[in-house]
Amino acid sequence: MLKRLVIAATIVGLAPLSLSGAAWAHGPSRQKVTETIEINAPVDKVWKAVGNFQDMSWLPIVAKTEGKGGNDVNATRVLTLKSGGTVEEQLDKYSAEDHVYAYEITKVDVKVLPVNDYSSHITVEADGDNKSTVTWWGGFYRGYMLNDPPPDLTDEVALKAVTDLYKAGLDGLKKKVEGGG
Amino acid sequence: MHKGRLVFRAVKLGLGLVASCAAVMPGFAHEALLTAQPSDSLSFVDLDSMKETARIAVTGKPVGIALSPDKATAYITAPDSKELIEVDAVSRKVTRRLFLGGGPVGIAAHPTRPEVYVADWYTHKIIIVDTVTFKTIGDVKVGDSPSGLAVTPDGTLLLSADRDSDAVSIVDVASRKVLASVPVGKRPFGITIDAKGVRAYTANVKSDDATVIDIAARKVVGSVKTGRRPYAVALAGGRGFVTDQYGGTVTVFDLGTLAVIKRIDTCDHAEGIEADKDEKNVYVSCWGENALLRIDPDKMVVTGKAAVADGPRAFGKFLR
Repeated sequence: MLKRLVIAATIVGLAPLSLSGAAWAHGPSRQKVTETIEINAPVDKVWKAVGNFQDMSWLPIVAKTEGKGGNDVNATRVLTLKSGGTVEEQLDKYSAEDHVYAYEITKVDVKVLPVNDYSSHITVEADGDNKSTVTWWGGFYRGYMLNDPPPDLTDEVALKAVTDLYKAGLDGLKKKVEGGG
Repeated sequence: MHKGRLVFRAVKLGLGLVASCAAVMPGFAHEALLTAQPSDSLSFVDLDSMKETARIAVTGKPVGIALSPDKATAYITAPDSKELIEVDAVSRKVTRRLFLGGGPVGIAAHPTRPEVYVADWYTHKIIIVDTVTFKTIGDVKVGDSPSGLAVTPDGTLLLSADRDSDAVSIVDVASRKVLASVPVGKRPFGITIDAKGVRAYTANVKSDDATVIDIAARKVVGSVKTGRRPYAVALAGGRGFVTDQYGGTVTVFDLGTLAVIKRIDTCDHAEGIEADKDEKNVYVSCWGENALLRIDPDKMVVTGKAAVADGPRAFGKFLR
C-alpha cells in the first residue's frame, strides 16, 4: 500500500489534470467472474473434493497447500503453484451444510495473478441425486489500481486470467471427481 | 405508476417549487436507485413491492450516488469516464454530464445549498459542483484518496472519509476550509452522519471495524468490530448496520453501548446501505448477487429481495 501511495503521489504530481476525457484511460472498477460446471456425482462427493479449505489439490496449477485454522473463519492457507509462485489466502465464510465457502487473497504478486483486492466463493449445489453444479465466483480489481494501466495489467487481462483459472480449475475438479468415481 | 409520484407531480406542477415538496410531503416516492457499475446502468426499485420497475443506461461505470434535497434529482459519479452525471429521478432520464477528471467516487448533496460534493480519489480533493449551472465552482484539498462524503443535517459541515490517510476530514462548508482531521481505523470508506448531526460513523475496510466520531468534539468516541471488509453504515432504531463485503453479512450494533448485537447473513459483497426515513426498514445493495435486500432493523432479519442490474454498488444515499 505504501508503495502504491508513493506511485499515486508521483503520478498526481506530474500528470496534467486538464486533459480531455478521451486522452485518459479508464480508472479501475471492480470486475466480476462467474464460472460453473456440471459434475456427474452427488453433492456430498463433490463437496468432499472441493470443500476442504486446506486442500487445494483439485486445482491443477497448485503444487502444495499449507495452512492453519482448518475450515474455521479466518483460517489461512498458502498455495505454492507449480510455476513457483505463491498465493496467500484467508477464509471468510464457511458452511458445510450449504456447501459454500468464501475466501480472499491476502497476498499475491501481480505477476502470478494480475489482480488486486480479490475475493471469491465456491458453491456446490445438488442437481438431482447424482449430479451437482459447482459455481466459482470472484470479485476483484485489475493489477494496476491507478489510471492508465500498462497493457499487462488492464481490466481485460485480469478478467481473462481469472476466467482461465476458473475454467481450468473446474475442468480439473470434474475430471478428478468423475475419474475417481 | 407509483401513487405517491402522481401526487408529487401534481404538487410540483401546482406550486412550481420542487424544493418545498420534501418538507411538505416526506417520502413521496418509496424507491431505491442503484448504481450498477459493471453493467453501466441505474436500477429503480419500488420499495413497497420490492420489484425493479425501471433500468436506464448510465455509462462510465457508475458508483457513487446522492439525491437532491427534494429527492427529485440523482447525482452519480462515474469513475471510468471521470464524470458527474445528473439523472432526473422522476422522468428517469440522464439530463446532464460534467467531466471532472481524476477519480470521482464518493458524493454528497448539501441539504439546502444548490451544491454537490464529489470526492476525487486520485487528486485528493473534494470538488464542489453548483447544481444549477452544473459547473465546478471550487475544491477543497483533503487527505489521501477521499471516499465517502456526508454533510451534517444543518449543512454547516462536510465530512470526508480519507481512505489512504486513515482519517476523516471535517470541512467548514461556508469557508471551504478543513477544520480538523480525525484519525480513525484503517482505510475508512463509507461515512454516515446521524439525524441530529452529533456523531459520524466510518466503515474501515482494512481494520474490519467502524469508528464512531463525536463531530463537535472532533474526537473518536469508540469503535465497533465488524465482519470482513466493511463498506458503509446505516442507522435505524438506535442501532448501526454495517455492510461487510467479504463477510457477506450486515453487522448490527447498539448505538449507545457500541456492542455488536448480531451479524445478519445477507449476500456477497453487501455494499451500499441506507435506512428509510422512518427507520422501519434498512436496504442493502448486493454487488455480488445483483439484488437489493430489505432488513427489518428491529427483528434483524432479511424480509425482502429484489433482483436488479448486474453489480449494484449504491455508494451513498440512494433512497427517495
